[in-house]
Order: sequence, then structure tokens, then C-alpha cells
Amino acid sequence: MPKVPLQIFRYKAGEPSRYDTCTVDIPDSAHVIDAIDAAWAVHDPSLTFRRACHHSSCGSCAIRINGVEKLPCVTKLSDVWDGRTPLRLDPLRNFPVVSDLVVDISSFFQRMSAADMAITCEAEAFLPFTVDSFAVAALERKAVELPEDFSRFNRFEQCIECGICMSACPTMAADDRFLGPAGLAAIYQARHKTDDPKKVEHLLGLADGEHGVWRCHSAFECTEACPQAVDPAGKIMALRRELIARRFSKMWGK
Amino acid sequence: MPAGNVSLEKEKLKIIPHVIVIGAGSTGSATAHDLALRGLRVTVIERGEVAFGTTGRNHCLLHSGGRYCVTDRESAIECIDENMILRKIMPDLLELNDGLFVALTEADLAFKERFLEGCAACHIPATEISVKQALAIEPFLNPKILAAVRVPDGVFEPFRFCLAFLATARENGAAVRTYSEVTDLVCSGKNVTGVKILDHRTGQKETLNADLIVNAAGPWAGEIAAKAEVSVPEIPTAGVMVALDCRLNNMVLNRLNKPSDGDIVVPQRATSVIGTTSWKVDDPDLITIPAEHVERMITQGEQLMPAVRNVPMRAKMAVARPLIAVGGTEARDVSRTFECFDHARDGMNGFVTIAGGKTTTARAMAQKVADIVCRKLDVAAECRTRDTLLVSYRLFFQQADPRNGSSVRSGQNRSFQRSGVNEHA
Repeated sequence: MPKVPLQIFRYKAGEPSRYDTCTVDIPDSAHVIDAIDAAWAVHDPSLTFRRACHHSSCGSCAIRINGVEKLPCVTKLSDVWDGRTPLRLDPLRNFPVVSDLVVDISSFFQRMSAADMAITCEAEAFLPFTVDSFAVAALERKAVELPEDFSRFNRFEQCIECGICMSACPTMAADDRFLGPAGLAAIYQARHKTDDPKKVEHLLGLADGEHGVWRCHSAFECTEACPQAVDPAGKIMALRRELIARRFSKMWGK
Repeated sequence: MPAGNVSLEKEKLKIIPHVIVIGAGSTGSATAHDLALRGLRVTVIERGEVAFGTTGRNHCLLHSGGRYCVTDRESAIECIDENMILRKIMPDLLELNDGLFVALTEADLAFKERFLEGCAACHIPATEISVKQALAIEPFLNPKILAAVRVPDGVFEPFRFCLAFLATARENGAAVRTYSEVTDLVCSGKNVTGVKILDHRTGQKETLNADLIVNAAGPWAGEIAAKAEVSVPEIPTAGVMVALDCRLNNMVLNRLNKPSDGDIVVPQRATSVIGTTSWKVDDPDLITIPAEHVERMITQGEQLMPAVRNVPMRAKMAVARPLIAVGGTEARDVSRTFECFDHARDGMNGFVTIAGGKTTTARAMAQKVADIVCRKLDVAAECRTRDTLLVSYRLFFQQADPRNGSSVRSGQNRSFQRSGVNEHA
């Protein structure tokens, strides 16, 4: 078992922040969350960090690993540790730090509430992300008559509300009321789930507002960092296209 | 008027009993909701984030009860009853695509009759579908399956499951204190009268008094109970789960037989999670995942879906479940049901432990312990959680928490961020 040196951001209310170092024994195959768990369970129970599902579903454990936003639960140690330099662990940016690796993510959830995107969605029977030979075989299988209620499935949205996109976004640092990548992606999702003209108007109004899509610098850092392939930047661009198209239609009186 | 209200408010605080719930997993969260709904003053103490322990690392299975309908009917009935209630009170928080129990061998096929009987006896709706239909719905399912039975399994997301209960409890006046560890119980003679806590966010110690303390610490319940010199017959039993890097199934897939290792694949969002193994552990905080257990998940999982072997692994996790010792000696033999222990029977008043169970039955566990709490505190209030719709889990992080204290803006170390971004690029 390798001995992994960690350099962890520490902060407690009323005290100056600092970095603590410690070394943990964890297997080669471990994920970064295992290193944090070990630092807490073996070295220092006062270390605060967030965790729950350990498989990229709850979104709670998001931090920066060597400066880059990641979910430690699905980040393999071997992918981020060079074998000697201490692994640096910091809280997310653009959120107030509560203590150590824990940030106050209320501003994230305010944005998600504003967009009011449901966390579950109706979906066609899923098709796998990578179509391998099994999937091809399945697709070629002859159509079979199914019970009626088997035509639609429901599933959780791709976004796990981890806050990584807001931490990675350079615009967030400049405008703390910016609706942000997740908020705007949620507006896009919510907009495409509804035909209600009032709702559409409301959602597009939010996107078109002072802190909406036009604030985005098109840095695409959010899409790069998103652990769930939500592609918030792509959705921001799509909202811009729709807003521009609507303006043109209005100009021509259509 | 306002002055009168203030004194009235103070008067109320004196009269209304205060209950401390230790643990913000599914049991503690549901208990806080139940008690707050009955009008009690509630404070939840949790040493980490919500769902930091057992509940977080959960298989996410909303049980239909099918899994237990032959071996443990009591659990199976609890499951189907609660399954139907959760559909009503948290409809937006569930993936509801049902589950299939599939037979792979002649022995599995022989089990089918007992399974269908078990389902009928536990009023679990179960219908056999054709192998062709099963394969059309689940393209990755082993094409050699011999039979498939559909049951109302579902999928939840444990973190948000707890947040929804806690957010609703807060709306009804409960306080939730995360990152606060119970360092000791305050005992006065034969009474537990409060808890000593250490807030890890500030390093501050505090003593909170309560009329009654509910120990909902899951596999750590024994540790908490020991602080009052009583014990809980709990066996922390770990299990390994393996999450795949893509979703292979629409529905929950179960092996049609008695529960065993690696016989279930729960799909959720963009992943499929194979589980699980079962072994007793001494310290629930120090669990090392045995490599052979991970391999066993893959070899068992590929029996249900051969593609399991070809898909990269996204994550592997293990956590201790709080199972109650009742007779059986093997980890698989202990009942999956729950139990409430009023420690008055051990000579300690004001202290109750709720143990065992599973997330699917958390609401029922909460009802049971809240009934006992109310009886002990002489409060006449009925349980209302069966048909109270929960508020949005998103409210949890927006509700005022006076304990958050002052905070600094993150990202002060700009040089680190930039170098980090460069490393990444």
C-alpha cells in the first residue's frame, strides 16, 4: 500500500486558514475520497468534508484536487497523484467556506430553485452511452410486443448538483448574481420540458436578464469540469440562439 | 402584543418537550420529520454532512419487498407498504421503472413458485412476463434467462431522500446541526438529560439539554449507547457495491432466488450498481474493501448481464449496515427488519435507540420510535407522515442555519487555481 502525502486546506471560523499535511496508507486502486476518509478517520476527526454516495450520484463531495474541480469519489488516485508530490485538496471556489473542505452551497440551490427543473425526467428506454457489440445485437433484435406501460421510463436528471461548474466558471467570480452554468442549464432543461407559453416566457426572461446568458464569457470551463457531461456551456449557447431567433422574429413581426 | 407573543413563545418552549435525534441518515431524518410534524421541538445532531454514513453509501433500491418475500416476510411486507407510501410523499425523488426477478438456472426456475406465493402472501404485485419481452426491455440481460417476474421495485437517491425529510422537519421548526459530533451523553442518576457536542466547524463545545434523546446513529448506535452504559444488539455488517461507468439496465435486475452476494443490479441515473456482499466489521469507520469482493461483484453481475465485464468501473464502495442480531449467526441470516429499544428496560430513562431496518422503511421506523417517544413524554399526537407531502429537498440548503457562523470567501489562493487549471490543460 503506497503512503500518500496530502496537503489539505483547513479553516475554522475565526481562525486564519492554513494547509495541513499528513500521509495516509491506501491501496493503489483507491479513489481520492478514500484518502480523505483515511485522513479523517486515522489522523484528524476535526477535518470536515462532505460525502454521501461514493459513486457520483449525490454530488456532495466535490472539491478541487490539485486545483482542479473533481468528485473525489470517482477520481482514481492514480489519475491525479504523481507518486511523490503531496496531493493538494481545496474547497470549491466561488462559494463561502464553512470549514475546511465544506462550502456553503446555498447559492447553488437558490439558482436551481429559480430554474425549478425537476430532478427526475421521463425518458425513452435508455440506450447505452457506448454502443458496443451487445447493444448492436440488442438493437437488431426483432421488435417484441410489450406491456403498454413499458414504453416510457423515468430517470434522474444528469445534473447531480455538485457545484463544480460554478466553481470552475470565471464569470462567477466577477458577478456573484450570475445565474451560472448549472442554473442556466437547468433553465434550458425546464424550458424544453414545458409547452406552457407563460412558463417559457418566464424561463427565457430569466435567461435573457442582467445575470443571464449574456454574462457568460464562453470560457467553457464548466463543460470541461462537469463530471456528468451535462455540458452547461452548450446549453447556454443554445439559449442564446433561441433568444436571438426570437428577437429576429419579433423584428420581422412574426 | 409583540411582547406578549415573546413571553408566550418562551412559555411554549418550556412546555413543549425537546427531543434530540442523533444521526442525520434516513432513520434520523425521517424521525425528525415525524416528531416535528407532531409538534415537538426537535434538534438533529450529525457529525458529518447529511447522509454521511450508512445511508449515503446505499444501494438506492426502493424495495418492493420481493427480495425478502420468501426468507423474511415481515421485512417484505414493511417494504411494499413503505414503497407505496414513499411514492405518495416524495413522488419527484424516485425513479419508478419497476424491477425484474430473473431465473438463470433450473434451481432459480424451481424457486419461482415459492417467489410468486411469497409475493402474493405479502401483497406485492408480481407478474410474470415473457423472456422475449424481458430481453426487449433489457437489451443487456443475459439472453439465457429462463423466466422473468416483474415487481414494483424503484430507485431513490439517498442524499436527497434525507434532505427532503430534513427540509420538511425544518419547515416545522426542527433544528439540524451537521458537523457536530456527540462526544458524550449527559446523565443524571438514571436519566439521560442531554448531549455534549463538539462543532467541528468551529471547534466549539456545547451541552444541549433534552427531555428525550433518540439514538439513530445506525451502525454507530452501539458506540453512542455505550456512553450511557447501555448496549444495543446490533451487528455492523459491511457490504461492497460496484458502480459501472454506464447504465446497462432500465429496471432493477434481481436474481430469482434467495438473497445472496452480487445478485442485484440497481440502475440509477447514468450508472448501474452491483451489490452486494456481507461481512461483520468491528469499526464502521475503518472498512477496507476486499479486492476479492469487488471481483465477486463482477463475476456475479455478469451472470445477470454479460456486458458487466466489459464496462469500466466507475466506483466501488463499502459501508456498514446496522443489522440487528436475532438468532442467526451468519451475516446474511440477521433480519432486515428494525427494532426500537427503550433503554428504560436497561435502567436508563430518557434514551431510546432505533436500529436496523433499511432506507425504504425509514418512515415506518420513524413512526415506531416517535410513537414511543410521545408515549414516554405523555404527548398525545398522531403520526401524520403517511400522507404529508415532503417539501423540495433543494430547500434544505436555503433554510437559515444560525449555526453556520461567519465564513470566508473560497478561492483566496488565486495562484493555486491558476496553476491547477494549467496542470489540467
